[in-house]
Amino acid sequence: MNCANPIDAAVLADYWLALPGSEEDAVELHLLDCDRCGQRLREVIALAEGVRSLAREGSLRMVVSDVFLQRAAETGLRVREYFVPAGGSVECTVTAEDDILIGRVAADLSGAKRVDMCIISENGVEQFRLPDIPVHSEATSIAFQESITFMKSAPSLKMVMRLITFDDKGSEHTLGEYTFNHTRSLPGSGAW
Amino acid sequence: MNLELNDAELVLQIGSGDHVAEAELFRRMAPRVRLYGLRHLRDESAAEDLTQMVLITTLEALRARRLREPEKLAGFVLGTCRMTVLDLRRGIQRKERILERFGADLVKPAPISIPNLDQDQLARCVQNLRERERTVIVMTFYDEQTGADVASFLRVSESNLRVIRHRAIHELRKCMEGAA
Repeated sequence: MNCANPIDAAVLADYWLALPGSEEDAVELHLLDCDRCGQRLREVIALAEGVRSLAREGSLRMVVSDVFLQRAAETGLRVREYFVPAGGSVECTVTAEDDILIGRVAADLSGAKRVDMCIISENGVEQFRLPDIPVHSEATSIAFQESITFMKSAPSLKMVMRLITFDDKGSEHTLGEYTFNHTRSLPGSGAW
Repeated sequence: MNLELNDAELVLQIGSGDHVAEAELFRRMAPRVRLYGLRHLRDESAAEDLTQMVLITTLEALRARRLREPEKLAGFVLGTCRMTVLDLRRGIQRKERILERFGADLVKPAPISIPNLDQDQLARCVQNLRERERTVIVMTFYDEQTGADVASFLRVSESNLRVIRHRAIHELRKCMEGAA
């Protein structure tokens, strides 16, 4: 099952997703003549289904679009969302019925060329950073998905999110800080 | 049965009435046609129907020696796939008619085997992507958004988006293969 001209996995992904420029005719003719690339396509399908499943589980920490949230709600997922103004805080929790947990933070993003998102512990230590998150300069808020799996097992805690931008010299500037006071409402004390 | 027969030889064998070659055609082409069906019909059952219809139509043509260039079997099957998908979408009920005529002769092809992935490892691999790559992958695979929609969200050109998407897919595959 060898192939002299294997189709690139990314091209196969484009084909599977029916994206423009996916060279459909050539790919299909090749796939009807090549089991090796057919197997690669199956691997790409597995990857796509796996990512879809992860997204449905709400277990990825990432910035999401409104369309993503709309789609999740349309497919019957329960989205719990908290809004926090810059410098503000919110009392929050997560229940067993929730599927997706969103922290929506307000920010003036005009002129921001690059924005990093950091999660800060109660004692001020940066726990992790998402560099160069996708933002619109005209947007007034950012929707961040916290892992629902993580938060369902979490004890009551305070979590601070910080948005950072950079000037032309590369120096960091805080765009805003947002405090989430999470109260555990699920049974048990919670632990990681 | 010589499994090393190339497509052209297989076509000629079927034209001469070789039933073993017919079975080989089903074994060889069924998984490929089913993948085509999954891609275009997004439904395993419909893909299965398509596979049966395409292979029977192909078999009829080969038995009647209507394929003038035997080496172009893949092209012929592709054309048949396209016509059959159009028929299915138009709601033309050829399926029952075809199955009535040939049902008893059909070789039931094996189902498509999509590999099982380690979801925990995949989660780690997705989380390890750069933020933009992760966004692109999730928006594309989960939302099934068009390239234009994702490009608009990220404020990048569609060609740049394609580069990000392709890099992310390669990173994911590398990460998954590294863990295997």
